[in-house]
Amino acid sequence: MDFDFSEEQYLLRDTVRDLLRRECTPKHIRALYDDPGGRSPERWRKLAELGVVGLTVPEEYGGSGMNEVDLVLLLEEAGRSLLPEPLLEHTAVAAPLLAHAGSEAQRREWLPRLSSGEATASIGLASSPFVADATADLVVLERDGELHALTQDRLTLTPLRSWDGTRRLFEVTAAETGDDTRLAGGREPAHWAFDHAAAATATVLVGVAAALLDQTVAYVQQREQFGRRIGAFQAVQHKLAETLLLVESARSAVYYAAYALANELPDAPIAVSVAKAYASDAERRANYEALQLHGGIGFTWEHDLHLWLKRGKALEIAYGDADWHRRRIADWVYATAN
Amino acid sequence: MDFELSPEDAAFRDEVRGWLAENRDQIEHVRAVNWEDGGERFERYREWERILFDAGWGAVTWPKEYGGRGASLVQQALFTDEYVRAKGPDRINRLGLNLLAPTLMLHGTAEQREAHLSKIARCDEIWCQGFSEPNAGSDLASLRTRAVRDGDDFVITGQKIWTSLGVFGDWIFVLCRTNPDAPKHKGISFILCDMHAPGVEVRPLVQINGDARFAEIFFTEARTPASNVVGAVDEGWRVAMTTLGFERGTGLGSPAVFNRILDEVVDLTRRSPRDGGVAADDPDIRRRVAQAYIETRIFELSSQRTLTRLAKGGTLGPEASLTKLYWSEMEARLEELAMDVLGPRAELAKGSPGAERNGDWYSEYLYARASMIFAGTSEVQKNVIAQRVLGLPRE
Repeated sequence: MDFDFSEEQYLLRDTVRDLLRRECTPKHIRALYDDPGGRSPERWRKLAELGVVGLTVPEEYGGSGMNEVDLVLLLEEAGRSLLPEPLLEHTAVAAPLLAHAGSEAQRREWLPRLSSGEATASIGLASSPFVADATADLVVLERDGELHALTQDRLTLTPLRSWDGTRRLFEVTAAETGDDTRLAGGREPAHWAFDHAAAATATVLVGVAAALLDQTVAYVQQREQFGRRIGAFQAVQHKLAETLLLVESARSAVYYAAYALANELPDAPIAVSVAKAYASDAERRANYEALQLHGGIGFTWEHDLHLWLKRGKALEIAYGDADWHRRRIADWVYATAN
Repeated sequence: MDFELSPEDAAFRDEVRGWLAENRDQIEHVRAVNWEDGGERFERYREWERILFDAGWGAVTWPKEYGGRGASLVQQALFTDEYVRAKGPDRINRLGLNLLAPTLMLHGTAEQREAHLSKIARCDEIWCQGFSEPNAGSDLASLRTRAVRDGDDFVITGQKIWTSLGVFGDWIFVLCRTNPDAPKHKGISFILCDMHAPGVEVRPLVQINGDARFAEIFFTEARTPASNVVGAVDEGWRVAMTTLGFERGTGLGSPAVFNRILDEVVDLTRRSPRDGGVAADDPDIRRRVAQAYIETRIFELSSQRTLTRLAKGGTLGPEASLTKLYWSEMEARLEELAMDVLGPRAELAKGSPGAERNGDWYSEYLYARASMIFAGTSEVQKNVIAQRVLGLPRE
């Protein structure tokens, strides 16, 4: 029994953290708000060079051949720094999905390029009417419970606009699917993709929540009212203590969900729902307290807090909100108990 | 990251499981009575502790010389898990086993360990915890029970309260003020005292569920040898914080206990009438059951994370407050859910016709409320987390 990460896993986390601290600051993110592309090819290339973009692609196709557990700490960093590039859609879902359910021809055609960062992939599941980063070279789209791997020439997209200016959302207004685009395996790949997306989203949420908490702890340490730092007030301290407990507990859940997926354990879907439900609630609380304790300054466009508030809000709801996952857990509890 | 048990740990678990299965009749015999009723009934639990001790299960992580089997922390967790699943009897000496013994192993002298550890494991000495006082609850460091050096002894005078197992206790570890002139955290000593010594008087306190599990302890010039001070004189606060660390971090909340309560609540929802059907059909109840599943599962996972950290040589400092806050509040929500699922039957008391489990659900619900108070209230835990984990300023 060992519920911890290896030194190599922590080392890679630290490397990615350092890169993002330098190159994914609020300033960088704001610069992309008004950019229709909204992505930094330069940053994505650097992540690819570190092996992060192709982390989950099998070695035989040019990737690092690592798994969900190796990725989980990096997704947390992506949340912490609000990485705009599609680490979640591309590395956590679409690339390993092609390795899992794609035909040999699809794998040969796409995986080496997805691993090197030369091509990007995204995922559009039935749980959302929109597809994030749908301008990717390859979009895996759910239709009638099955998945299709589609190139841009088969898609008609209408761009949407999110309150989170770094999200690039599209409605797929037409998609030419056929037997040649379908992933084998019936409905299983769509379930696989949903569980991976929900687990990855929960992990990113933990990073967002941790960043919100850290910034708020720092703020209440310096903001003074009534002649003292507001962090000395018990009403403030208790909110933050409760939030820390939620975030730390959510970590246990998302780490285990990654392990359960990586090892294809029978309880993986439930582990995913535990993680997504709890992480969504934890982030919601961190989101709430962060703005409440920042007060007026946090409500300004100029302050960076809203960048995290908006990403968090979008992801709380994405791939099943907390109540959706609680319903799935209840159905499972009553199907298996006694 | 690896959740598989090693072959040794799996063998250990199988051994525990096998032994508990062989002793199923004995377990049922003990559990048929309540130890709170005292007398022969309490002695039945003591005998059970001796059976555990003789089989080497009394304190599995302890060194062999004190009656343990040098098991790892993971194995201890496996033992507790199996023990709870097998509905093993309450461990009546848990304060000695889980609080004092690890404190003595860290801060005690060789003589103190020699004198008490085996007796704790054999249940020859039932131990009590003498921390809270009528005017020193959350503000523990303001305690006023004093101990004055007189020759080779300390002479203790004062009052302790909310002392669990007080009426059954043989020994007590007492926080006493030994230097009234020092700042309040600096003049406290951690002292072991024989409860059968002259000048120690125990008065039972009846709890809101009718049990007499705790007591007031009055010390009137009670003498204890100076060799019974644990750690240095006047430096007992630090020792007490280690004890509280064990109490909050690993001593009380076992994941298996909450998993069992959840299973029982789920079972209850299938049988409890609600709106012409059963509670399990109600979407709001199902939502709460799901949340209870989430919380118990995460507690299990977080406990495994903590265990890994401790096994790798890490320590549990103020983070223990996170553990205590989590499980105590979760336990209260679980028991409140049970009350709502029972519906109008929830209030039926012991001895009443129609009372589910003879009113025990209500009693457990009340104990869950106590859990948010003892070993540091939820509010105290939040202060510790804010100030010592997050680094926020003290008021």
